[in-house]
Amino acid sequence: MRDFIETLRRRLVELGCPMAQVRRLVQEVADHREDLKQAALAEGLAEVGAEVRADVQLGDPLALADHLMAAQRRSSWWGRHFVVTFCLLPLLAFPVLWLLLLLLEMSLAFALGYGWDSKKLHVAVNDPVTFHCFVTVFHFMDYIALALATLLFCWLARRAAVGLKWMVTACAVCSLLTLITWGKIEPHSFFVGFTVNSHLHLQWLRGAIPLAVAGAVYVFERRTRQRFLEKVAD
Amino acid sequence: MLTGITVIGMMAAMKKTNPSFLNGVPELLVLRLLARREMYGYQIVEEIRAQTREALAFGEGCIYPYLHYLKAQKQVTSQRREVDGRNRNYYKLTARGRKRLDELTTEWKRVTTGVALLLEEQHA
Repeated sequence: MRDFIETLRRRLVELGCPMAQVRRLVQEVADHREDLKQAALAEGLAEVGAEVRADVQLGDPLALADHLMAAQRRSSWWGRHFVVTFCLLPLLAFPVLWLLLLLLEMSLAFALGYGWDSKKLHVAVNDPVTFHCFVTVFHFMDYIALALATLLFCWLARRAAVGLKWMVTACAVCSLLTLITWGKIEPHSFFVGFTVNSHLHLQWLRGAIPLAVAGAVYVFERRTRQRFLEKVAD
Repeated sequence: MLTGITVIGMMAAMKKTNPSFLNGVPELLVLRLLARREMYGYQIVEEIRAQTREALAFGEGCIYPYLHYLKAQKQVTSQRREVDGRNRNYYKLTARGRKRLDELTTEWKRVTTGVALLLEEQHA
């Protein structure tokens, strides 16, 4: 019992199946195996013989795990069209998402800091010290927007069960796009652009954010899987 | 014997010439059975084997990729329930699943009628 189920579980985890899904799939196959075993026992087979027959009937656990993951991939549009989703879609969606998230963050900051009072804001930006703080906060919000937009593609890759390769591909495309998208604030003005702008400071840092997100997601996933397998083994 | 794996392989081969010929046979069988009553995986496999007089049979594990695909497509729903001291995932057909079943049944009848006509012509 342990061998078949354990092999299935490990393979599903290796293939990047979400943990909740692994639990459910493994439980279901274990139930099925138990039914096969009971049927074999009812036919007069001994305990060991019944278990062996149930395993034979269920087939190769590695192939079963592969089929389960393939079914999960086929079940979503993202999973069926992974080249479009993780290579082409970021080219269009990433800049739009980034801009929307940036505007949302700026709106939130405006609401929390100045209660939507534009007069207060106009007075504040005329002070050079306050404006310097604004620029710092703006850069911070820019980085957060980039990270969140990238995270969305990581989430999509996980949901579509397409594996790490396509998640990293999407993050690499996002990283390249950060080099040609930029935002800037000046007193009473806000600019965004889609050009290579070598005058901007820390453009390399923007480019590194999607890659750092990919790295963080990879480490997180790896640790979660490791912990899950250890917990199950106990 | 028609296993899940066999069907997948055949589906890929048939796709270029006639995608509707074997494509969807496992889906049709599962949806047809679930249209009658709620069932769990083992029950579905046994029922297919029994009702087709063992002419068609899923590989025991192969039913789950189909069931999970159908669930993701919202053609079936599942619920974990305890019956006779055993916890099992019972699958139930949804309205979308019923619609899909009607489409597949119509398509299957069209194909089998065509094949039957051709076979009759050859015998005549």
